[in-house]
Amino acid sequence: MNEKIDVQKIAEGFDSLSYILDDELATVLFLMMRLEKPLLLEGNPGVGKTEIARVLAQYLGTEVIRLQCYEGLDVHTAVYEWNYQKQLLSIKLQEQSNKSALEKEEHIFGEEFLLQRPLLKAISNPERSPVLLIDEIDRADEEFEAFLLELLSAFQISIPEMGTIKAKHKPLVILTSNRTRELSDALKRRCLYHWVEYPEFDKEVRIVQKHLGNIETDIITNIVRVVQHLRTLKLQKTPGIAESIDWAQSLLALGYKDLDAKAMDQTLGCILKSSDDIKSIKKGGIEELLQQI
Amino acid sequence: MLDYPHYSNYDSVTKAMIAFGHILRSKGLNVGVQEVLDSLIGSTLGILEDKNRLRYALKALCCTSEEERHSFDSIFDWFWGDERLEIKGKTTYKNQSNIKKKTQGSLVMMGKGEGEEGEEDAKRVSGANAIHRLRKTDFSKIEAIDSQFLEELAIQLWQQMSLRLKRKLKAAPNSGRIDLRNTIRRSIEKGGDPFDLQFKRKKKQKKRLVILLDVSGSMDKYSFFLLRFICALRVHFERIEAFLFSTKLIRITEYLNAHNLQQTLVMLSMQADNWSSGTQIGACLKTFNEDYAKRILNGQSTVIILSDGLDTGEPEVLAEAVRNIRLRTRQLVWLNPLKGMQGYEPVQRGMSAALPEVDVFRSAHNLNSILALEDLLAAV
Repeated sequence: MNEKIDVQKIAEGFDSLSYILDDELATVLFLMMRLEKPLLLEGNPGVGKTEIARVLAQYLGTEVIRLQCYEGLDVHTAVYEWNYQKQLLSIKLQEQSNKSALEKEEHIFGEEFLLQRPLLKAISNPERSPVLLIDEIDRADEEFEAFLLELLSAFQISIPEMGTIKAKHKPLVILTSNRTRELSDALKRRCLYHWVEYPEFDKEVRIVQKHLGNIETDIITNIVRVVQHLRTLKLQKTPGIAESIDWAQSLLALGYKDLDAKAMDQTLGCILKSSDDIKSIKKGGIEELLQQI
Repeated sequence: MLDYPHYSNYDSVTKAMIAFGHILRSKGLNVGVQEVLDSLIGSTLGILEDKNRLRYALKALCCTSEEERHSFDSIFDWFWGDERLEIKGKTTYKNQSNIKKKTQGSLVMMGKGEGEEGEEDAKRVSGANAIHRLRKTDFSKIEAIDSQFLEELAIQLWQQMSLRLKRKLKAAPNSGRIDLRNTIRRSIEKGGDPFDLQFKRKKKQKKRLVILLDVSGSMDKYSFFLLRFICALRVHFERIEAFLFSTKLIRITEYLNAHNLQQTLVMLSMQADNWSSGTQIGACLKTFNEDYAKRILNGQSTVIILSDGLDTGEPEVLAEAVRNIRLRTRQLVWLNPLKGMQGYEPVQRGMSAALPEVDVFRSAHNLNSILALEDLLAAV
């Protein structure tokens, strides 16, 4: 086995999909696929956690199934639900038929009446392993976390009326968390853990360039410089990578060739998403800010 | 273990990996057999040749938080480093001796220390009369012999209170909109006739309780009991976040989970290198705003600040920090043990600066005053 190349290959594959992967994350993704363990990504909002899952799926040529967590998420929205209306209609239609009760029951609890929700969908792919993205797991309740733990260890779901469904191909699971609460130790231990940082200057420049079709202009380096500076300030909402890209796109769309005070003033809303932040930056003076950088 | 062992001490990768797992465990990382096994499997996948890859792989396998990742790096460098670094034995034991020193000092031993001369209103008597008296006694005036008794009483009463709070949350009427989906589902067993109506209503959002406890010198007498109070609340509030502060802010939420309170206290004293020193309330609350408020407060939260308001920093900083917390909460409660003193007026610079932003200002100096908080907590 020549795994050294494998890690390299992952990095290159991601690169061709416009995602710039550092060696650490490449190693972690490699391990994740080899050990078949879920990967838990934590980091500040806007560092591209969700994007990793999307690109991984693209790289592997498979689909990504996303489960967005929220407070009060329950099994019916996460795993499966019966299509009650359809079942009911079917009962009415079959009333006159001379099928036995058992046959009728078997019919209405057949697969055509089952609504697959993300988790069930993720383990029932017949061809290849999908990427299962469980987004913002910290928002879900502790009870749901416990349920998830069960799923992640066995990769099977039991449906009382149908029996147990076992994964033919284990999905590659990526969980993301913004740390609004600490996850349980049990869940954390089942996963590989990676903390996603804001990218360094050079990396972010390359990321923005990739997204804008590889144009090399000074304006991009200046944009990134300003965004990186803003991240060091104590803002209410720290701008993420998406903000840098948005900002660069807007400035280019407006036809600016360089980042000056007027341009920044006009487009400040692209990077600062809180009125307090905008006020405090304007108070400090945009000219001064640009000169500092 | 006088120095950190080095991988070159072991004749096989397996042994070295196991030893490394032991070290991580002794440093508080949650590394079990599974993690070591996975590391070994990982090492057969060719990551051993590149030290950085080995680091990344082991880091992903053994760490479970950002903080752990920081301590991991230095341990990794010691163990897998190119040259052996001699580390003196003291490093290993420093923490423990620290605990001992600390435990004699404040919080941990507060309940068992020698205690000062007893005040008149805290005589050791037994029976109902004593309970009645102790409930009204200021925490700072509790005698050492009484403190054990008071502690038991306090825990008992607080647990009862938590239980009452929990029951209150449970009793909610079963009404709301008709849940068509569930009604139809139920009707299947009745042959399709909607016999039992099912209801649904908006799920009650779990509200957060955030507690900030002042552990500075002036609060020493109270913080011991108040910390226990927080631990008691932990049992029934699923979403509680707790912080300690004096000159620095420390998040202690995860330690409240430990079942053994004594252990929790030891762990806390390990964390607090500035236990019982001067107070920088404003600066600490500012740190809270910068580092945690965004994530933790959601507009539905109740924040309780337990402090005497004796701030050594600038009152403007405090006022602004309190205002910013207020903006992100539903209710901001300030509990001040000094308020229990007769003739107390919130005139200290810090306290008077913060007061306009506070929704509820109450005392927390004895058991009764804490039990009286039930109405506030029930609304959380």
